[in-house]
Parts: sequence; C-alpha cells; structure tokens
Amino acid sequence: MKKNRTLSIYIVLLMAVILLLFLNICVGSVKVPFSEAIMSLVGKNKDTSFYDIVMLIRFPRAVGAIVLGGGLSLAGFALQSFFHNPIAGPYLLGISSGAKLTVALLFVFAANMVPSAAYGAKIICAFLGAFLAMGFVLLCSKKINNMAMLLVCGIMIGYICSAVTDFVVTFAKEADIVNLHNWTKGSLSGLTWMDDLVLSVIILVASFGLLALSKPLSAYAMGENYAKSVGVNIKRFRVMLVIISSLLAATVTAFAGPVSFVGIAVPHIVRGLTKSTKPIVLIPACFIGGGAFCLLCDFVARVILSPVELSISTVTAFFGAPVVIYILIQRRKRA
Amino acid sequence: MSLLEIKKCSCGYENKTVISDVSFSVDKGEIVTLIGPNGCGKTTLIKTVSTLINNMSGEVLLDGKNVFSMKENERARCMALLLTDKGQGEGSTCFEVVSMGRYPYTGKFGLLSKEDKEICYEAMRLCDVSDLAERYFTQISDGQRQRILLARAIAQKPDLMILDEPTSFLDVKYKLEFLNILKELAKKTPFAVVASLHELDLAYQVSDKIVAIKDGRVDRIASPKEVFTGGYIDELFGITKGHFEEESLKIIL
Repeated sequence: MKKNRTLSIYIVLLMAVILLLFLNICVGSVKVPFSEAIMSLVGKNKDTSFYDIVMLIRFPRAVGAIVLGGGLSLAGFALQSFFHNPIAGPYLLGISSGAKLTVALLFVFAANMVPSAAYGAKIICAFLGAFLAMGFVLLCSKKINNMAMLLVCGIMIGYICSAVTDFVVTFAKEADIVNLHNWTKGSLSGLTWMDDLVLSVIILVASFGLLALSKPLSAYAMGENYAKSVGVNIKRFRVMLVIISSLLAATVTAFAGPVSFVGIAVPHIVRGLTKSTKPIVLIPACFIGGGAFCLLCDFVARVILSPVELSISTVTAFFGAPVVIYILIQRRKRA
Repeated sequence: MSLLEIKKCSCGYENKTVISDVSFSVDKGEIVTLIGPNGCGKTTLIKTVSTLINNMSGEVLLDGKNVFSMKENERARCMALLLTDKGQGEGSTCFEVVSMGRYPYTGKFGLLSKEDKEICYEAMRLCDVSDLAERYFTQISDGQRQRILLARAIAQKPDLMILDEPTSFLDVKYKLEFLNILKELAKKTPFAVVASLHELDLAYQVSDKIVAIKDGRVDRIASPKEVFTGGYIDELFGITKGHFEEESLKIIL
C-alpha cells in the first residue's frame, strides 16, 4: 500500500519536473516550438536561433532551477528536523540573508576582483555568511526553548543582515552594484552551464550527505534524549546537519540570491503527499518536488509580466507564504 | 562482576553537584528501584547512568566497561531508556516509534528486516498495544504513549533497562500490568532494571533492592522489607503530617 503510494508520488513529481522543464524551454518572449526544443536538446539544429535560446539561456536556467529548488527544500527539511519545527527554513531563520550580506560586501568592496576569483569567493563568502547567521540562530536556540520565539529571532537576524546590506549598497558606487541589485532580490536569470556544474556538484554532494543521515534523522524526530538512547551520536549528527543545511542554503543564495519559502512549503507539501515521516522517502521526494516548485515559480516570474521579469522570491513567497499560514492553523486545530 | 556497577559516582549539572558518592550494583534479572522525596536527585542519577549528562566523578560500569567511553551503538544495544519526557515523534505512527528500538541493530539506512519487525510486533503484543500500531503517536493518550515507549525499550533487547517514573501516567490497571510485564521479562530474558518510582506500594512489591535517596546522597540500600520498617519511610520523606503505615503500605492522614 504505502510503497505503491510512495512510488506513484515519485512518478508524479518526476513527470511534473519534465513537463515544467519543457514549458520553461518553450515559453517566453520568443516561443520555441516543442519540435525545435527537442531538436535543440539533441543538437540537430545548431544553426538556428532556437538552438542558442534553448541551449545557452533557457535550458541551463531550468536545470539550475531544478537543482537550486531541490537544494533549498532540503535545506528547509534539514532545519525543520534540527529544530523540530515545521516552519523553520533558511529564509525565515535569516540564513539566506546572512549569505546575502557577505556576498553583498564582496560585491561592493572587492568589485575589481578578477571574474574567476570572484566566482569562488562568492561561494565561500555566501557559506561564511550562512554559517555566521546559523551560529547566531543556534546561540539563540540555546537560550530560548520556545519555537515561535526562535523564529522571531531568525527573522530579526534576517532583518539586521538586510539592513546592513542596504546600508552598504547605499554607499557603493553605482557601477559596482548593477548586478548586485538584481541578485539581492533573487533571480535565476543568466545562469550558465558553468554555474550549473558548480552548483550541482555542491548541492548533490550535500544532498547525498543528508540522505546518508536519514537513519539518525528518523531517530532524532523522537527528541534528542531518545535519539541518544538508541545510539545516535548526537554531537556529530547535529554538526553534520548544521554544515549541510548551511551549505545548501549558501550555495543557492550565492547563485540565485535569497529565495524565500521554498524550504518550508515544499517539505510540507511532500509530507502531505507521501503521508510519510521517513527521511529516506522524504529526502529524494523533497528534492524533486523542490525542483518542480522552482521551475513553476521561475516560469511564472518570467512569463506573467513578460518581457519584464519578476524576482523569483516574489513568486515563491506568493505561493509559499500561504502554506506557512496553513501549517500554523492546522497545528492550532490539532492542539 | 555485576552487570551494572556504579562506583563512588557524583553527578549534577555544570558546577552544581546534585547527588554525590553513589555506589551500588545491579545484576541481570534484578529490579532496583530508586525512591526518595522530590528533588533528591533520582532523575539526575538516572540521566547520568544513561549518559545523557556526564558524571562529575566516579565510575559507571556496564559489563565492566565505562559507559561514557562505550560506542553509541554498543551502548544502545546494552541499555534502553524510558524517560518522563514523552518524546515528540510528530507524524510518526506508533509502530514507527517502537521500531526505533531496533536502531542499534539495523544497517546504514535503518531498514527493518523481517526479524526486526517480528521483534517489534512481539514487544507491542507484550505491552498490549498491538491495536495502536497504525495510529499516530501524538494522537494517543499519555498512558498509551508510555506503553508504546516501553514496547520500544523492549524491542531494543537491552541487558539493562532504565526507567524514570515509568508508571506516572498509567491508570491502576496498567500500572499493575506494566510492572508485571517488567518483572516477568526481567526474570525471563533476563535483563536488569533500574527504575525510579513514586508509588511506594508498587516499589515494595516489584523491587529486589531499594535505593533510598535523600538530600543528594544514598541513605540506605536494602531489600524492600528492610526499607519499609521502623518508620523509615516517614523519616526518608520527612513526613510530619500524617504517617506511612509500612505494614499495610497505606498513607494515613
């Protein structure tokens, strides 16, 4: 019974990803016919303009959306497990904003860096920022047992980081921050194959790391003491979880800017669909579901006011924030 | 050599010693209960023996090995724990909670073998909770949860079971059943039990040995008969208004 359900959910999610992938490739300011899209993917029409649009712009962007969406929703899943809180996520806890701050500082103060060096520096900076913000959240969580309060702390940390970012940006030279301005709002535009390669390697490694933790994750759901009593090395487990969730959130932020609510909405929807609490079932489903969700949001962001592009965060918030409200109401009902 | 040996152990939190200089030992098949007034250090001692907090000095030996230097998995195969903290487990079914007891035995991804499942069902049958298997853990009563957690501890197949006030949420029927199961299994399997109990009448019936704790130290270690004599219970708990009648195990107002 349950196995069939899980399998069919996986198939549905994968179909959604494939469908949305073609939708993203074909629809836009220039319409690409489906047949041309297929031709481009197999490399049969290299001399047409369709080929360039598909292979250099839309396809890499869509692949990026899938992997980044998967990474984000896993970051959310990891944080929710860590804090035993269904509405924890990298954006609400200020981790994305922490990464945003350090990357903004890099953009402004090291604007003249060689592009190739800046590339690596951007990822490292994002990771440092995510880690710092996570550190603050952890410090707060030691003092505060109340989950709602912890989220408020996270949101405040996010605001502080955003305020400092705005401050720095205000005093920067206009030329240095052209890219930055788009980026701080969250956007997938301009993702290249090189970007895709780098972010896929990091996110996939982190995702498999999380999958390898699925056994202790399931024990940890019962609470720390019980997890310890059945043989979980709590210290190592928590450190791993912090590193993985920071790494995921940081990588996404480095490439797409802070993207909100994916990390909360997707794991929640996936839990509802699979009716499972088993991390080994949920982790791959969250990844695929996150990919589909981000493809959909990016599609809306690109198409709805075309040729003007919305920031992806606008769209993810529009779909994701109601899910948070729904979770809160459901929990109140049950309690 | 006994299964569990506690040697001159002092424990507490940060710089505050809560209970000091505890020494006693427990054999397989033996039930040892800790009794004493609120705040005397029973739970602190239990948390220390189960390595949830570190000891400040002294030794806790399980099968001759220091519990604090054992590998997590190895320790979990020897020692199961039931706390007053009822756990979280949101969204998990009762069977999934019980199956957590198999954690130290399963492989890298925690998949249950047929044998693991059998052990879980058997543990649930023993605790009379088989019909709860597919219910959600957060949606059953406190008493049912306590029995699910006991089933989980049984599924862990430990040599030593540590229980902190295991009967506090149970009604009188399940209190008796709980302790009967425990007593029977402890003798049959056999495993050792260290439990803190507030119900003195039950402690008298179920224990092989009682450790009486008062003001952060062990006041007396003896058989139930020796502990429940000569007005000792009144003295241990500092009862001044009323009286604990040791012959009938009744509280007299």
